[in-house]
Amino acid sequence: MAIIEMNNLWKEYGDQVVLERLDAEVQEGEFVTLVGASGCGKTTFLKMLLGTESPSRGELLLDGAPIPDQPDETRGIVFQRYSVLPHLSALENVMLADELHRHKLIGRAFGGKRKALKDAAMAMLESVGLAQAADKYPHQLSGGMQQRLAIAQALMKRPRILLLDEPFGALDPGIRRDMHHLVLDLWRQQGLTIFMVTHDLAEGFYLGTRLWVFDKTRLDPQAPGAYGARITYDLPVGDCDKGTLTAIQAQADATARTMA
Amino acid sequence: MTRLLTTVCTTALLALTLTSPAQARDSFKVCWSIYVGWLPWDYGAAEGIVDKWADKYDIDIDVVQINDYVESINQYTAGQFDGCTMTNMDALTIPAAGGVDSTALIVGDFSNGNDGIVLKDADTLEAINGRRVNLVELSVSHYLLARALDSVGLSERDITVVNTADADLVSAFNTPDVTALATWNPLLGTIKESPEANLVFDSSRIPGEIIDLMVVNTETLKANPALGKALTGAWYEIMGHLDDSGFRQHLANIAATDLDGLQTQLDATRLFDQAEDAVAFTNSPALKETMQKVAEFSFDHGLLGEGAPDAGFVGVETPAGVYGNSGNVKLRFDPTYMTMAAEGEL
Amino acid sequence: MKKLINRHPGPVATWALGLLPFALLLVVYLLASDARLEANPNDKLLPSFSAMGDAIQRMAFEPSKRSGEYLLWADTLASLTRLAIGVGISALMGLIFGIVTGTLPYARAGLSPLITGLSLVPPMAILPILFILFGLGELAKVMLIIIGITPFLIRDLQQRAREIPAEQVIKMQTLGANTWQIILRLVWPQIMPRLISAVRLSLGSAWLFLIAAEAIAATEGLGYRIFLVRRYLSMDVILPYVLWITLLAFAIDFLLARYSRWRYPWFHGSH
Repeated sequence: MAIIEMNNLWKEYGDQVVLERLDAEVQEGEFVTLVGASGCGKTTFLKMLLGTESPSRGELLLDGAPIPDQPDETRGIVFQRYSVLPHLSALENVMLADELHRHKLIGRAFGGKRKALKDAAMAMLESVGLAQAADKYPHQLSGGMQQRLAIAQALMKRPRILLLDEPFGALDPGIRRDMHHLVLDLWRQQGLTIFMVTHDLAEGFYLGTRLWVFDKTRLDPQAPGAYGARITYDLPVGDCDKGTLTAIQAQADATARTMA
Repeated sequence: MTRLLTTVCTTALLALTLTSPAQARDSFKVCWSIYVGWLPWDYGAAEGIVDKWADKYDIDIDVVQINDYVESINQYTAGQFDGCTMTNMDALTIPAAGGVDSTALIVGDFSNGNDGIVLKDADTLEAINGRRVNLVELSVSHYLLARALDSVGLSERDITVVNTADADLVSAFNTPDVTALATWNPLLGTIKESPEANLVFDSSRIPGEIIDLMVVNTETLKANPALGKALTGAWYEIMGHLDDSGFRQHLANIAATDLDGLQTQLDATRLFDQAEDAVAFTNSPALKETMQKVAEFSFDHGLLGEGAPDAGFVGVETPAGVYGNSGNVKLRFDPTYMTMAAEGEL
Repeated sequence: MKKLINRHPGPVATWALGLLPFALLLVVYLLASDARLEANPNDKLLPSFSAMGDAIQRMAFEPSKRSGEYLLWADTLASLTRLAIGVGISALMGLIFGIVTGTLPYARAGLSPLITGLSLVPPMAILPILFILFGLGELAKVMLIIIGITPFLIRDLQQRAREIPAEQVIKMQTLGANTWQIILRLVWPQIMPRLISAVRLSLGSAWLFLIAAEAIAATEGLGYRIFLVRRYLSMDVILPYVLWITLLAFAIDFLLARYSRWRYPWFHGSH
């Protein structure tokens, strides 16, 4: 069975239609990248997966049941910024998920239990290359290290679905490439299903197993909000030529100009 | 705090622009604050009596009301005013102890029941033993309390004095933890209306000890006898209106009371409306004894300054002789001008 | 020649320029004081420094003739105790209500209008009511401080709690946290250094309310002493007391700032 299923999914705010008539299925283990012009509903769609926004019409199913309407541990998230907690050291950030699980009332572990949690967290930090920075606070880490930490923190909960909202948008190109390797490694090792929003079409092509382009098929220049975006391309990545890439880019640019 | 700051600032400025008080001048400022014995000054100013007498001696006198009693004395001491209304005790402890040589130009009245001590749940003064007593510390209420305690063989060690702003005494009396206080009219009158209140001591038991004065700067007075003559002349002309209904209504209005309320306060005040009486009071040897008691109380409470070796450190000159250090006389009871008024020489 | 706007003083000049106004004030005071004392050696308005030194010696290092206490220390202890209790209770209430209203929309809807309304009441205006409700004892003084600064603390901390990025609240939920755990492990620790900042800001008002309360009814305290000796114009006591209060206020502020830097390095590193 598909892990995520959409049936005639709409999202509207008043008379502004953001997304309309989305129909798709995603199988466990897929890596879906979401691209498109700004304002075409990529982030709104991610928020519906996260549970902070609800569908206006239609169905969004997780394992065949309506997706929970608030965030929970089935779906991990990494934002572009503010993902890690600034008042905790790197190690404490990674330990947090287990601590919350162990002690519902105080959300902290002590003694021998703490030692076990610490070892697990250290192993995770090591796998994202942050073992040296375990005792540092986030503000002492570079942007790339903070995002590694955010991924490590999210993965400690072993979510089945990982949502990435432009996680590398603020990083330098060299760092981005390192992060790509890291994400691909973790995805393969842990059998995750990943949804990643990106502005960078090339990144979308490189990383995903499947690329979704969000775009408006009907566009009224007088009322950009009258029609919603749809998934205009649903490509298995690797199965496309340079012409497709150029065509998608041109179409996205045209939409962006009209909406600006 | 603001008031304190203002005092500091104005005095700092003042220090730089100080004019010598000894110079002969033709323009003067005196201040007064709300109290039954001083209310007539407002009538005199409003009805032009003060101006009339000032014109007679070719000077100007500005009569200013100051809302805060202690502030008015501080302003006088700082040199902002040439004269000010105050009690004998405050004249000794504020301007005189501060080195400002002051003369009691007019002895207006003494408190004859205007100051009192009130207890809850008891009607004898002895019951005050062990209580917390709310009052304006170091004021005449404090002096009255000391004299009252003395009269029943108690001392201040037997009670606890709680310094309480006069504005809050009435509401304080309505709270359960306040069971004893000492204050003056019109607050005393309001507090006595409460069914819980028992007046156990008042100033009629120590007549002539709490005296209300018009005090002027001695050097200014020496250089400008016209100021003394004009103020004294005006005062006794004002006193001549004591029984006028217009006069009484005026006083009642500024005291925020009615004619009955004013009468109650006047009844508790021995007002010297005849200059002869004031002169006789000033000339009597009892005044010197009173000032000795006041000076001793003040010394015991550190009011004469820490440099004072004994109660007589600041000398007080009365017609019956000088009390204390005759080399450091800073407060003078001088009946000269009142005598001139009594003899019709003004 | 560089334009004035582009010229910066060196480190020595910066210090010298900073000290200059103080030195000038001191000189002006000395001149004025000397002038007055020459005219009247007993003048109380602008006492000489030696007179103030004597007053400090007397208040701080000699037992009082009447009570046998060392007045300056007894006053300081009394005032600081009131200040600590008042500010401590206010901080605790600010923390609890700030977090609850900042975090829980239902609590905010129910309490915010009340808190906003209360914060608009001028505390000095309800002083007479306070004295009737709480008497003239310690309770009323502490209550004046609490009423004076708690609404500000609550509103400030509510705002600070709402400023915690939504991303972090969502992140906590994806890590399995319930509401209580979000408060305990995310909101509370992040609010603590902000509480210290808010308390530092409110200390000026707290001192104001403390001194006002002590001026009205007290048997000891720094404000009590100032308003008592004002009665006989003892500037030689008042001026050192004002300086001492200033010094205490500065020291408390400095210690809080230091504590916050030591205890919450993450807060000061990222701001």
